[in-house]
Amino acid sequence: MAIAIGSSDTAQRSNERSTRANLDRMLPYGLIAPAVFVAFAIAVVPMGYAIWLSLQDWYLLRRPTPIWGGLINYIQLFHDASLWAAFGRTWIWTIGTVFVELFLGVPIALLFNRESAVSRTASALILLPWVTPFVVLGFGWRFLLDGDVGPIQGILKMLGISGTGSVLNDPVRALIAIIMISGWKGMPFMVIAVLAALKSIPKDIYEAAEVDGAGAFRRFYHVTLPAIWNTMLTVGIVLGILAFYSFDLPWIMTRGGPQAATTIVGITMYKAVFQELRPAYAAAISVVMLVLLFVASILVLRLRRKD
Amino acid sequence: MKRLPMLRDVGLDVLTLCILFIVLLPILWVVVASVRPDSDIASGGWIPQRFTIQHYQEIMAFPGFLVALKNSLIVGITVAVITTTMAVPAAYALSRLSFRGRNFVALVILGTQMLPSVAVLVPLVVIIRQIGLSNTLTALIFTHLSLGMPIAVWMLRGYIDGVPRELEEAALIDGCGRIGAMVRVVLPLIRPAIVAVGTFAFVLSWGEFILALALISKADTKTLPLALQGLFDPYSFSWGRVMAGGTIIALPTIILFLVFRKQLVGGLLAGGVKG
Repeated sequence: MAIAIGSSDTAQRSNERSTRANLDRMLPYGLIAPAVFVAFAIAVVPMGYAIWLSLQDWYLLRRPTPIWGGLINYIQLFHDASLWAAFGRTWIWTIGTVFVELFLGVPIALLFNRESAVSRTASALILLPWVTPFVVLGFGWRFLLDGDVGPIQGILKMLGISGTGSVLNDPVRALIAIIMISGWKGMPFMVIAVLAALKSIPKDIYEAAEVDGAGAFRRFYHVTLPAIWNTMLTVGIVLGILAFYSFDLPWIMTRGGPQAATTIVGITMYKAVFQELRPAYAAAISVVMLVLLFVASILVLRLRRKD
Repeated sequence: MKRLPMLRDVGLDVLTLCILFIVLLPILWVVVASVRPDSDIASGGWIPQRFTIQHYQEIMAFPGFLVALKNSLIVGITVAVITTTMAVPAAYALSRLSFRGRNFVALVILGTQMLPSVAVLVPLVVIIRQIGLSNTLTALIFTHLSLGMPIAVWMLRGYIDGVPRELEEAALIDGCGRIGAMVRVVLPLIRPAIVAVGTFAFVLSWGEFILALALISKADTKTLPLALQGLFDPYSFSWGRVMAGGTIIALPTIILFLVFRKQLVGGLLAGGVKG
């Protein structure tokens, strides 16, 4: 009797232990499930759905319910001259934005790389354009470049860069202006990333280079630049991806105009859904965007230095 | 001998301040315009002499602006709470527990961080329309989770990595389960990071424009960034009023950022953050 009770007790205990072990094995999945669900629902599923959608024939004005269309959207897309013009502008936009970010960000990072209270405060405050929402900056710059009251428009007029009307009314200048603004907004991110890379360069390398008689320029070219090269490249890609998918700034500031001067692909895609009511065509555009961006990123990554 | 480097330092400090001023001038100008009378904005020169809070008073009386403010707060706070409650356990699992598929999961979560909203805009809008959720705050909250979730998991994982394992092991021996150890030992230690991550999620949702534009078209569910367009009153147009609306959106972002700067800069560098 006593033995029987004892044995059933151990059985129960080992049973408990195995459910406990099972629970332990399941625990990580339980903990991670909500976050993974969100990642799937908001990124992975929509990407897959976009591919399926891009193969449908669905034009709300003519065919309100989607039917299988095969490559019909891709064929149309291939012949859509205004879309390829928008893609061309998007590359100018993306490369221009990253160029402005590097051109402003790297020298500012070099300047801020000192041990002083001023440079510490400055490297915090420089981030304000980066953290201020696009929508605020878009409307803000519309005011700053307004033809009648815009103060920065006034400066541009004084410098002879702009005529009496706003720079945003001139196709070429509007694109250049918004690229500059886009670069100004992203530049702080470049500054803090390069600054972090600069801080990790050991001081004695510079001293050794100086002893060897290397001037400031040679020190920069042979010591500093190699040390920050990969950071510049990686951050350049991240910022380039963001620029490639821009929408807010040109939409708020010019609605893609004047004429189509600032219509980048993000705007073309938005118009395809909401104005032309062609969601399947828009989905095809977003698939092509992703493919082109992927190829471009791979090409740029090959410029990485290997040690 | 010693004066020359000192002079150089002062010179570089001055140069730093000048550059900083030029970079921040556009934002400063926006804020200043929001407290100047419209007549001064048009013809009062660059240095403000008269100040007014009239634009802010007008905005508060503007139809829809208070509704938008309320909606933005609801969406932002809900997003912050859900993001942190989902990110903390996920970050803990990625940091502390070993399981099959861990690297894959980490990759998927980080990958979604790299994916801008515009890339998934079309399919998301179609899906949300088909399940009948357009023009609801629910849909906006759900899509806004993508803004801060990946970076939250990533940042918190780094912070949990920094908590010594011995602290938890003591709790595990004392009979706490894994979850008990997480809640009682790790959570209190990373509380500042959790607050920072929640703030971040709030701020990203607060200023978000394109998802809101694509999903919301009715006045009663508009958020602040959408309401800004509504401040362009064709009958009594005022730049000051629009700039005041912009300042209301920008100010919480800027203040919260400056408060949590230390935690956030590390996070910014950990993964390129959506703008």
